[in-house]
Amino acid sequence: MAGVVKAPAPGAFAITPHKVSLCILVHTYASPSQISVPFPFSSVSQHNRLGLYLLALTKSCDDILEPKLDQLINQLREIGGLLDDWLTDHVTSRLSSLSAPDDLFNFFNELRETLGGPDSGVMDDDQVILDPNSNLGMFLRRCILAFNLLTFEGICHLLTNIGIYCKEAISSSSYEHRLDDSGNDLESLSEYENMDLNLVFKKINEEMEARKKATEQVSFHLHLPKDLSTLVEDVEVFADPKPEHNEKGGESSSYASGDLLRDVDPDGGVFLRTNWQIQGYLMEQADAIEKHGSSFTFNAFELTLRQLQKLAPEFHRVHFLRYLNNLYHDEYFSALENLHRYFDYSAGTEGFDFVPPAGSNDFGRFEIALLCLGMMQFHFGHPKRALEVLTEAVLVSQQQCNDTCLAYTLAAICNLLSEIGFSTTSGILGSPFSPMTNVGTSLSVQQQLFVLLNGSLKKAESLKLKQLIAANNLAMAKFGLTHVQRPLLSFGPKISMKLRTCPIVVCKELRSGYHLISDFCCEGSTMTTDGAFSTAWLKNLQKPMGSLVMSQDNGSGNNSNPFLFFTQPSSIPGSVLQLVGSSYLHRATAWEMYGSAPLARVNALVYATCFADASSSSDAVVVHVKLIQHLAAFKGYKEAFAALKIAEEKFLCASKSRILILKLQLLHERALHRGHLKLAQQVCDELGVLASSVTSVDLELKTEASLRHARTLLAAKQFSQAAAVAHSLFCMCYKFNLQVENATVLLLLAEIHMKSGNAVVGLPYALASLSYCQSFNLDLLKASATLTLAELWLSLGSNHSKTALTLLHGAFPMILGHGGLELCARAYITEAKCYLSDPSFSVSDNPELVLDPLRQAADELQALEYHELMAEAFYLMAIVYGKLGQLQQREEAASSFKNHIVALDHPHDADDPFLS
Amino acid sequence: MSSKESCRNELRTAIRQLSDRCLYSASKWAAEQLVGIEQDPAKFTPSNTRFQRGSSSIRRRFRTNEINSTPPTGVAYVSTPVMEEDEAIHGDFYLLAKSYFDCREYRRAAHVLRDQTGKKSVFLRCYALYLAGEKRKEEETIELEGPLGKSDAVNRELVSVERELSTLSKNNMIDPFGLYLYGLVLKEKGNENLARKVLVESVNSYPWNWSAWSELQSLCTTVDILNSLNLSNHWMKEFFLASVYQELRMHNEALSKYENLQGTFTFSNYLQAQIGKTQYSLREFDQVEVIFEDLLRNDPYRVEDMDTYSNVLYTKEYFSALSYLAHRVIMTDKYRPESCCIIGNYYSLKGLHEKSVMYFRRALKLNKKYLSAWTLMGHEYVEMKNTPAAVDAYRRAVDINPRDYRAWYGLGQAYEMIGMPHYALHYFQKSVFFQPIDSRLWIAMAQCYESEQLHMLEEAIKCYKRAANCNDTEAIALHRLAELHRELGQPEEAAFYYKKDLERMEAEEREGPNTVEALTFLATHYKTQKRFEEAEVYCTRLLDYTGPERETAKSLLRGMRIAQSGFPSMDVEHFHP
Repeated sequence: MAGVVKAPAPGAFAITPHKVSLCILVHTYASPSQISVPFPFSSVSQHNRLGLYLLALTKSCDDILEPKLDQLINQLREIGGLLDDWLTDHVTSRLSSLSAPDDLFNFFNELRETLGGPDSGVMDDDQVILDPNSNLGMFLRRCILAFNLLTFEGICHLLTNIGIYCKEAISSSSYEHRLDDSGNDLESLSEYENMDLNLVFKKINEEMEARKKATEQVSFHLHLPKDLSTLVEDVEVFADPKPEHNEKGGESSSYASGDLLRDVDPDGGVFLRTNWQIQGYLMEQADAIEKHGSSFTFNAFELTLRQLQKLAPEFHRVHFLRYLNNLYHDEYFSALENLHRYFDYSAGTEGFDFVPPAGSNDFGRFEIALLCLGMMQFHFGHPKRALEVLTEAVLVSQQQCNDTCLAYTLAAICNLLSEIGFSTTSGILGSPFSPMTNVGTSLSVQQQLFVLLNGSLKKAESLKLKQLIAANNLAMAKFGLTHVQRPLLSFGPKISMKLRTCPIVVCKELRSGYHLISDFCCEGSTMTTDGAFSTAWLKNLQKPMGSLVMSQDNGSGNNSNPFLFFTQPSSIPGSVLQLVGSSYLHRATAWEMYGSAPLARVNALVYATCFADASSSSDAVVVHVKLIQHLAAFKGYKEAFAALKIAEEKFLCASKSRILILKLQLLHERALHRGHLKLAQQVCDELGVLASSVTSVDLELKTEASLRHARTLLAAKQFSQAAAVAHSLFCMCYKFNLQVENATVLLLLAEIHMKSGNAVVGLPYALASLSYCQSFNLDLLKASATLTLAELWLSLGSNHSKTALTLLHGAFPMILGHGGLELCARAYITEAKCYLSDPSFSVSDNPELVLDPLRQAADELQALEYHELMAEAFYLMAIVYGKLGQLQQREEAASSFKNHIVALDHPHDADDPFLS
Repeated sequence: MSSKESCRNELRTAIRQLSDRCLYSASKWAAEQLVGIEQDPAKFTPSNTRFQRGSSSIRRRFRTNEINSTPPTGVAYVSTPVMEEDEAIHGDFYLLAKSYFDCREYRRAAHVLRDQTGKKSVFLRCYALYLAGEKRKEEETIELEGPLGKSDAVNRELVSVERELSTLSKNNMIDPFGLYLYGLVLKEKGNENLARKVLVESVNSYPWNWSAWSELQSLCTTVDILNSLNLSNHWMKEFFLASVYQELRMHNEALSKYENLQGTFTFSNYLQAQIGKTQYSLREFDQVEVIFEDLLRNDPYRVEDMDTYSNVLYTKEYFSALSYLAHRVIMTDKYRPESCCIIGNYYSLKGLHEKSVMYFRRALKLNKKYLSAWTLMGHEYVEMKNTPAAVDAYRRAVDINPRDYRAWYGLGQAYEMIGMPHYALHYFQKSVFFQPIDSRLWIAMAQCYESEQLHMLEEAIKCYKRAANCNDTEAIALHRLAELHRELGQPEEAAFYYKKDLERMEAEEREGPNTVEALTFLATHYKTQKRFEEAEVYCTRLLDYTGPERETAKSLLRGMRIAQSGFPSMDVEHFHP
């Protein structure tokens, strides 16, 4: 009922049909001139129950998604018990009796009688009179006031709306019908309500929070940090298991918004309530989109947005949501269009709570548009264009003195640089950066990245942008993980060159990343950085903070219980949690690289269990991938494939890409082990196709694909080709500074040469790989390089078996402690071979020294179905048994050997559900 | 085309029928055309033709080629039978309803006709209901306006009207007017395909309802849609096609249609105004000015289309003429968007941008979808250096009509202004996409590419080339092309464009620093190419100018002579400062 109050006025509250029915209920609850337990109620507790329920309802009144009448009736049914029929009848009959404006006038007059006078201290004990200052009393007063402020036209509209409200409830089948339309089943009803209530109550909290904050300066852009944090982790978007609550929320709102948005007060005042609420709703949706990626239903949400836009054409945030929706569904052109539209309309100032005061309003904040555009281009795989745009963003931010945006832009650039391996940035990163780097553009990309990272971190620190700091810390850790820090200056007093990566630095960075969470805990409410509007509060209501009521309710499945309103949410915004979570993910990766399998697994598990709620689906996929890889390496393929199946179901549809890649990897490995080379090649080709995707070039995937190609060739004994592939791969990795991959490729080259019988040529490669591993602290890889080295020595002749054995024993702790099945088995076999080829070693003296490792190896290889190595193990065993004269065992070993050789020669894909 | 006399008769009947059904704007349009048909001077006394004194010499002067009034051969125009009038019985109720309708008491009118079943009555009842709904919708829009914009007010009668009309049309009980209304309702409900079909049916059976044609026109957003329409041939179709062409920016086609129509409807103000507008789009400002002057002389109280005239006056910077026009329209009708726009234009010309914005705002209050006001307001904000507001205004224009290249261009300019050339590119690309024949757009885009930040000269060259190909009146493109090629060290191309530029300047008899620059470059270039004769020609031409170039030319000449006379090649230039 606009038009009514133009000035900031108490009118930040509009009377709606739902509120009218609440008033009816309150009136019933506290009907004047009745005895202590008024008419319809049979007991005090019944009376109180209704009171509590009303209290909850009045608190939730400011939500944009007001419940419909039939929902209200449903809730009443649960609360009212025996009174249920009477109450519903009362409400509906009362509502439908309102047929003329005068009825409304009378009704509100009646309401006024319910309230006691301002000084009704003296109260008759038997009489129920609402204290005007109580919650319910306030509510009534607000309703009455809002009604009195209505113009006559407003009253007419209210009347019409009440009519619609009633009609909808009467034909409540229409509601079901709608649900059917949107492809939902009726069961979702309760779920939806639950969601609705959750939403409601979250909003109340936020709003209170936000009100406190409204006068203080709050910070930056709402969506940026989230975008960033997702980008920090990875660019791809993955799906979440079940597209549940949120999209239903989306859909439900599309029904609700139809007439509710009209009803909900459109009036301004200081807080712009409606605006506020829709913002909240949209923010939540934005989070949901981000979280669920492409599994978020595109069309339903688009529909909602379209409707919102129709209802509130001046509400531009809708365009941004549309952009997000398109972005995550890979609709390039409409995403671009909507991004531009949003920033054209909002000039970058809407939703940005922190607008520098110094007259900058005149110019708008278009640099933010650039920042978003850059990130979008990046998302769609146009890194070069993205860099151009971001460069412009840097320039404009500098011109406009928007340091916050500058910090974010720098972080975005860092992210871009670290994600996409540019061989060179000269010409792209031009002059605008020179003031920052002061060292010209002669630096390598990595060095530039380092400088930028530092700059960004400093900026973020000086501006106290906590999330950005955390994100930067993560980026730093990531950088520290894979890059040697070299001095930036090529002249002057040289600092002693440290040619190793520094795990301590990485650890420090990771740790400082999640100091953030403690900041949030102690600062509590002051930390609304990005959350002034955000509704992305923690959803861990069941966790310690959540009350008992909640969990009980969940148990009984009674989801629509209004007592939910009283539970307290944790005050940590989802984006922060996401950041903290991704620091665990980083840890897992770091440990993976440093070679501690258990620690990597533990961190991944921590992430999967503690941050599953807050994580974006992409992160969740990454964790699953890590865990499954771990399974495959330590438990064999059977379990890995079983887990993969679960993961596949969990991350349905859409961007299975990551899962798909994992599947291909596993299939490839297994095919190699089984000696099924044709299949291996086929899988490898598929991987190659994925790597040459049109959307963007994923270097990691590319190296992976060609690494596997080389492996396949090696297994097929096409040594020269394998060597050629590996060589070109090494060149590429070197060019793009992929250090870890460098080490791996070198190791592979060594292996190729060894297998081709050219151990002497292999040696330098193995040594080079070793030195790489050393400088990057890749302990596990180093152990396996040592193993290869030992094998090389061994193949140089029996007189080197001592050297080999020493090397091997040196690496044993690492291998046995952290290595996977294959590595251990290889080590065991090599050990046995060392002993056997040692002329001074006699089998008959100490047969267990050889037999034990061989048996171990055979056991471990069983899970991997690694026929080739198994055959080798059994062959050696047979020889040993032969020498020992244990004929029966020899025969057994020999027949096993034969079996494996046969299996190797005639690979058959045994019942493989994964082969498509 | 049918003879003038038959057109006249058809129109006369149509006007009666249309106004009998309260389709006033259609009947107004028809009447305008009726009077626009040239009278046979033999039959009429001067007093009759006085109304048509617009056959002024000025207009004749500009119609260089006498338009052939015979239609293209092979087109057979169907003669649609004039409809029979029915319903004498319930005529009284109808008369009452029509009177109510004329007094804008729509619901009352509908109520009177509640039990009538004749086609005419049904139509008027539905039409009255529809209008009542529209009226209420307008009111509600204002009542429900909030800070987030207009609420979703809808015409509440649409559903019932649609239901009734669709039943009627299924039972084949509907007349062309009913079909028109049905189409209107369908369009409003977003069912465009069916709306198009229904409207086509309506105009095929009753072609004189211009409102139906214009509804149909608004639904023809692409040429493909237009071609898919199955329209029977009638001279009204020509009007329709011309107007569609105009809207689809096929200006030349539109112009030829209009001029063809002028053969019959020689004095139609409507045609004249449309020709004026089309010429404006073709940037023939002189002609437009004459056309509108003439139009105003004949129809001094006209407000429609006068904003186009004011645009011309604005472009030509005719202060007093513009103020005179503004004065005139404001005396005629102050609350017309066109009037406000004209005043806005006047203030803009005076450099009073705040006031100008105020009037554009008023125009937009009167008609929120008034495209040119949004764009013009954007221009004003650009002048006021209020980029966000300008961007906002332009964006609204393109959201109303995404084909509005001027607004896209404005957006690009605004962003370029605040130092975001890369961001601006997106908008320039949009604008050239919708108007690829405008050299100014290409030049703007090229300049964007050229900017210091982007420095994408290759792309800039491509744009300039496009600009040079589309009749670059300001001759910027050729010059810049030459310069860019020179900067990129491509002397051959540079020479080519300098030469072209020179030729052009000669043709237009312009001279200036560009001439000197071109001559100097060409002279040196040919000299290094050892094509002394050509070099000499340019050098001698340079000698006609004063300044340092003259000296350069002299030294060049000297150098060449030395080289030609067989002396050891020695660069004389070196010895000169």
